[in-house]
Amino acid sequence: MDRRIVIARAVASEAWISIKANKLRSFLTTLGIIIGVCAVVIMVAAGQTVQNMINQQLSGIGANLLIIRPEFTTQGGLRGGTQSIIRTNDADAIRNVRNIIAVSPMVMTTRQIAYKSQNFATQLIASTTDVAKTGNYEIESGRFFDERDMRGAVPVVVIGSTIQQELFHGADPVGEVIRIGNVPFTVKGLLKTKGQGIGGQDQDAVVLMPITTFRRRIFGTRIPNRVQMIMAQVSDERFIEEAKLQIEVVLRETRRLKPDAENDFIIDNMTEMLNTIRSVGLYLSVLLASIAGISLVVGSIGIMNMMLVSVSERTREIGIRKAIGAKNSSILMQFLLESILISFIGSMVGMVLGIGLGQIAGAVMGYAVPISYMTVLLAVAVAIVVGVAAGIVPAMKATRLDPIEALRYQ
Amino acid sequence: MSAKLPPVIKIASLHKTYYMDGGQNYPVLHGLDLKIEAGEFVAIMGPSGSGKSTLMNILGCLDKPTRGEYYIDGVLVSKMNQDELADVRNQKIGFVFQGFNLLMQRSIIDNTKIPMMYLGLTGAEQDERAMKALAHVKLTGFETRLPTQISGGMQQRVAIARALVNSPSLLLADEPTGNLDSKTSDEVMKIFTDLNREGKTVVVITHEPDVARYAKRLVYIKDGLIKYDGDVKKFKAGANG
Repeated sequence: MDRRIVIARAVASEAWISIKANKLRSFLTTLGIIIGVCAVVIMVAAGQTVQNMINQQLSGIGANLLIIRPEFTTQGGLRGGTQSIIRTNDADAIRNVRNIIAVSPMVMTTRQIAYKSQNFATQLIASTTDVAKTGNYEIESGRFFDERDMRGAVPVVVIGSTIQQELFHGADPVGEVIRIGNVPFTVKGLLKTKGQGIGGQDQDAVVLMPITTFRRRIFGTRIPNRVQMIMAQVSDERFIEEAKLQIEVVLRETRRLKPDAENDFIIDNMTEMLNTIRSVGLYLSVLLASIAGISLVVGSIGIMNMMLVSVSERTREIGIRKAIGAKNSSILMQFLLESILISFIGSMVGMVLGIGLGQIAGAVMGYAVPISYMTVLLAVAVAIVVGVAAGIVPAMKATRLDPIEALRYQ
Repeated sequence: MSAKLPPVIKIASLHKTYYMDGGQNYPVLHGLDLKIEAGEFVAIMGPSGSGKSTLMNILGCLDKPTRGEYYIDGVLVSKMNQDELADVRNQKIGFVFQGFNLLMQRSIIDNTKIPMMYLGLTGAEQDERAMKALAHVKLTGFETRLPTQISGGMQQRVAIARALVNSPSLLLADEPTGNLDSKTSDEVMKIFTDLNREGKTVVVITHEPDVARYAKRLVYIKDGLIKYDGDVKKFKAGANG
């Protein structure tokens, strides 16, 4: 075997022996790294959990959405003053704008629904078939209402999983008939579960139906064609701003606004808002991890401190080793390896502990806490970086000792 | 007839001056010439401040001369770099110190193995040689003890075993009996005598005439110069110092 490899192995074993020789001190030093890595791992997991929750909550909203809603004044928390009206023909106009792939005029209200002896108050959304895209609804079983349902104002609904639980106790609702008021509706489809929304509301307590059906069978026609808002989906994020301007032009025309009149509608760019919310989540993760990182820095200072003390204490040993033939590289390696070993052990234990505590906390609080390979990479990187950073100065100090002086040291 | 071996030690006009921070110079050795052949047993004596410790550090390759040349086994070592000197210390020189200089947290056998570790010998070779060296100094059975669990004389014998394991050209002992009582001193010096009889070159630095008497040849240093170099029995301190 290569002589250098044999020496390297022997030096590594010397490093391990001296860690074992000072068990308590090595343990306490390792504890600093364990706590540091554990804290970082937990904070990264917490940050990811928060981000996952945000993403899940935002899943109720389709990608690249523009939302058109009436301009109205609010005073003292009460809706007042004049309020413009958004109509389905506005939605029809928007449909012709370039890069718009889905438009859904929305009517939202709360209604009591009933199935046999069960009844439940829920949100009712009436829209076009496009709402599947703009509202990011996916079908679990059955099907969504289609154009034919729209044209015929057929009494069909698609329901969320909460409704399935409340009215059907989890049984397959497709084909069953529920009642809204006195009107019977056939359940055509069951939506996939979405979970909580941004405001904490249950996104699965929802009943969807064609807007035509809603008009004819539920709402009546006090203000014909009135909707609360229109959701418009753009094909690509790049075209959002352009589409927004186009919609503004088209709506002013459709609504016959005079050139000097202000817009009587508002166009919200949801993507912008979502990005802001997501970036808040990201900043939160980074902030949490950074704070935990401070404890890691403190831990690594602990290693450096221990190594410096160790070098001072072992001045004579270093002198002896040099006198009987240790090269500077062997001394450097021995002390560097000691520091790397301590930080490696600390990082691994900290990682396992952090993942474990994260999972336990997640289980207790009822959140799915992700375990990412990033965490493992992070722990290994920390082990090496901290070990080398904390060990290099003490190791250099050991290497520079003059053997004559070191042998004289008492 | 085999060709004559080069001397184990050859120094020529060796000077050592210490340069202090304040710009002062302290010349310690003023041009020494010395040749020690293989198989010799030499005592180097001198009063405090004579420069014998400085000479010992240079002979042991722990320090470099300011001027002059130093050869071990015919190889010029006075111009070597740190790593080359470490190899020379490891392979050519067996150190025995006054304070034993064992690693106190390591067993007797581990202490004996350290020079072999830096030589790059495998575990099996290390074990074999260490056991042999410990047997040589009559410490068989004490392998797993710690230095604190044996007497000073035994510790010094461990140090001698450690000095022997890499089969060095030169055994260099610095006041090897300085920390021992007279009976133990005798035992330790007898080991050196035996080793010398087996062919080892031994150099002992001491200020004790009783210790020097075990050697055949005496080199007496005073004020950085060799004042006497000859038969140990013919030396009279007063006459030559």
